[in-house]
Amino acid sequence: MNLLNAIRKRWCHLASRTPSDVEEEFRSTLDAYQQDLIRQGFSEEEAHRKACIDLGRLGTQNERYRDAIGLRLFDELSGDLRYGLRALCRNPRFAVVAVLSLALGIGATTAMFSLIYAVLLHPFPYAGADRIMNPAIVNEQHPDEPQWFPLNQAQFDIMRRTAPVDSLLGFNNSHMEITGGGLPEAVFGVYLTENAGSFFGVRPLLGRNIEPADAEHGGRAVVVLNYRFWQRRFNGDPHVIGQTLELDHASYTIVGVMPRSFAFNDTTGTGDVYLPSSLMRSIANVPYMAYIPWIKLRPHVTLAAANSALEPIVRQFAKEDPRRFPDHWHLALQPIVVPYRQQTGRTLTLLLAGVVLLLIIGCANCSILLLARGRSRRHELAIRSAIGASRWRIVRQLLVEAVVISCTGAILGVAASYWLARLPLLLSPDSFPAEAVIRVNAPILAFSVALALLCGVLFGLVPALRLSHNASARILPGRQTGVVAAPAKHRWSVLIAAQVALTLLLMATAGTAIRSFLQLMQVPLGYDPTDVMSLGIMLHVHDPGEWGRRIRLHDVRTAYIEQIRASIASVPGVSTVAVGTDATPPYTGAESSLVIDGNADGEQPQARVMMVGPEYFAALRIPVIQGRIWNTDENFRGDFIAVVNRAFAARYLSSSNVLGRQIRLPGLTSQNRFAAVSTQSTAWRQIIGVVGDARNDGVDHPVAPAIYVPYSALMQPYAQFLVRTQGDPLTYLHSIRAAIASVASDQEVSKGASPLSDAIQRDTQYSRQRLFSILFGIFSAIALALALVGIFSIVAYSVAQRTTEFGVRLALGAPRAHVLWVAARIALVSVATGVVLGLACDSFLGAVLAHWMQNAFTAGSLFTAAALLALSALFACLLPARHAITVPPAEALRYE
Amino acid sequence: MTKPVELPQGTLEMLILKAVSLGPLHGYGILLRIQQISGERLEILQGSFYTAIYRLERQGWIEGEWGESENNRRARFYSLTAAGRRQLKAETAKWADMAAVVAGILNAKADEV
Repeated sequence: MNLLNAIRKRWCHLASRTPSDVEEEFRSTLDAYQQDLIRQGFSEEEAHRKACIDLGRLGTQNERYRDAIGLRLFDELSGDLRYGLRALCRNPRFAVVAVLSLALGIGATTAMFSLIYAVLLHPFPYAGADRIMNPAIVNEQHPDEPQWFPLNQAQFDIMRRTAPVDSLLGFNNSHMEITGGGLPEAVFGVYLTENAGSFFGVRPLLGRNIEPADAEHGGRAVVVLNYRFWQRRFNGDPHVIGQTLELDHASYTIVGVMPRSFAFNDTTGTGDVYLPSSLMRSIANVPYMAYIPWIKLRPHVTLAAANSALEPIVRQFAKEDPRRFPDHWHLALQPIVVPYRQQTGRTLTLLLAGVVLLLIIGCANCSILLLARGRSRRHELAIRSAIGASRWRIVRQLLVEAVVISCTGAILGVAASYWLARLPLLLSPDSFPAEAVIRVNAPILAFSVALALLCGVLFGLVPALRLSHNASARILPGRQTGVVAAPAKHRWSVLIAAQVALTLLLMATAGTAIRSFLQLMQVPLGYDPTDVMSLGIMLHVHDPGEWGRRIRLHDVRTAYIEQIRASIASVPGVSTVAVGTDATPPYTGAESSLVIDGNADGEQPQARVMMVGPEYFAALRIPVIQGRIWNTDENFRGDFIAVVNRAFAARYLSSSNVLGRQIRLPGLTSQNRFAAVSTQSTAWRQIIGVVGDARNDGVDHPVAPAIYVPYSALMQPYAQFLVRTQGDPLTYLHSIRAAIASVASDQEVSKGASPLSDAIQRDTQYSRQRLFSILFGIFSAIALALALVGIFSIVAYSVAQRTTEFGVRLALGAPRAHVLWVAARIALVSVATGVVLGLACDSFLGAVLAHWMQNAFTAGSLFTAAALLALSALFACLLPARHAITVPPAEALRYE
Repeated sequence: MTKPVELPQGTLEMLILKAVSLGPLHGYGILLRIQQISGERLEILQGSFYTAIYRLERQGWIEGEWGESENNRRARFYSLTAAGRRQLKAETAKWADMAAVVAGILNAKADEV
């Protein structure tokens, strides 16, 4: 309204003449004409009358003026608007139901759109994010698992100078720890080439970015903080710039803090601190001197052109270091958004389809309500039409009223969408980029305004056309006081049927989602995650003193890890402790190729290799099926033995003689100079036992073949422990820290201590299924509520309209059951049609949905939904229909 | 009085422009002048008269200014703007063309075709 007033004022300003100005001019003309007429012999009274007849009345002159300069439509629209608002206020129950049904639909749709905008269309805060590419190597034998490749300094310089490359970022990750004061704390460091500031184009929250000058003199010891790390470690202290941070016994000056939206990077790990990459050479002891590249292409360079320009260069790199590249590969630049698009695109499309259905149901509901209300407005419309309103004028009036409803709904909906959009992020945090920030912005507002107008026209048009039809033909039929049977044609019965069918569709989808989630929850894991947590320690390999040198030795490291394990095991309440590096289910081990004795056939066997201690199987309650687990001595030595899972035995060995077979793991070695490897880790190993299958590739994937070897075969500069406790494991964290400190007072525990049950809930498939079941559950509940409200109000209105008819029927002796049936009949018939229609649609859509969801509709969930819907619709019909028989006949006849 | 003539649609504006081009006039004055020049044969639909004036003013072809009328009353005097002058010229030419063509057709005799 205010907006319209403002526009109107502006227009009036353009019109440049005030109403009094127009009136004064007209009055002077009238007067002059009147004088002339008097001179011609008219009496004063007659002259006045004739002047008014010839020239028009004074009062209407302004209207004529505004009409002439094109303001009339505007005046009428704002009149319609005021009238519409007043009509809404007069009928608050109708208004609330109509506005709410739309607010839900528009809110949900806007929320989903802002989520799509944030996740798929604009997920990164980087400048020119659509030009930033992840160069991936596609192994032609395993095309769905692209690999990344690191570059050395010379290769990096070559690639930077390639034609399609606008700028090139190199980064490398490093596990570091805060030293010097208090308990040591593990942090994740990311080295960035010094062009990072201009590459990302993100303005730091405080201080500055890493800049080219930081490369001088072998790299300045400066550090830029990640927002979350700054909050966690410095409590968001605004004066942190200039302070010193000691990492791995070297001091760094804090020069900047990045904004919250900057979380480089999601794929390889979000850094806590960002450092200039020149420091990799001088101070830090980064295992590989290498850069992982991110390429920003020049504007207007196509992917294909960039690929073909870069491919020969990468081929050259592959020749220099063939071990890092598969046998048959090609280069594929991948926009950085692609991994998310693949992961979440489908999820979001399905959810969007859900909310659009909800919106359509909401619109149908409003149409129904308007039609129902329209019956009581016929009188008003007939009067308007009789005194000269055109059909278009009436249609416009009704449409404006509809738009008033939809805009009010949109305002509520947009407000709600701000919170609604966060719901999927809360329910399934790992499916979305950490950097995606949901906010209401111009495109989203434009979207919802357009949506509101569209909805208004959509649901307003049918009632408007229907009600304005023949309005003039029915010139003032009088209040309908006689006994009027219901008109035969009911537009709303079609609407109800459609609404019911769509609701059934949503309910069946929800049923399917919930069912597959329940199935997923019942999947046998093969291990017992309850009361087990995983915690890690960083070994002080960077320690400049004696310890740092000694811990690199194989036997010292094994003994140290074993000592800490024993110390944790001695905490009261801890039942089993096992070492299991990178062996925390449901994702465990790295895929490696192996050699099996006597297998000369073509298949190249691959298996997950897990470095664990002998207690691992007891801690996770993985059963031993055949043979035995290695003992402590064998564990210290690390070589010559292995245990496999049942899937391995079934896939690669004829299960009869598994024990005693020999396997070899050529990849069981490391170039990392901080890793400690046993003397013969890649030699032949004898299989001494077979264990049960435990999920190692996520909860929804079949168990991959796996090999367990003693952890001392290959020890990284960190170790992980799986701790089984009595009761909630996190409550033991304090005493476990104390136990570790009793072995080595400066040994920190990494931040990631987490129960294994959490790891399942964070699983992408698990959380996605949960997201689907919760959201579709909510959608279908809302849809059901809307459909029931629609049915309820249509029956209630028609009963109110036909009170007299029912009174007469009852007075003439109609049985109550029959009257009830007459009252509910039309709605019931359309509900039944809707259910049948819905069932037909579902069986067709089942095939489509099978593509999106794990399993499509089954007859069970479909019929349950249909039965539930039919039953509640029956109640929604009968409840208001009951009024038809409770009215005493005499009173009904006196009605009106 | 000779037989009154009905005005074709859209010509009223042209006549107003012409009337005003002869010198500034107030609304009633324009009406009188048109009737006077036409020899009282034009019966202008009075209601549409001011609508036409407002539209012309909005287009910027005439501009109004408050002044004193002959019988010492405040009245709004309209005069032609430069744009209005161009418009009048164009309209006059168009009208003359059309009239000539129509007249030519209507005056055609059988042997000329």
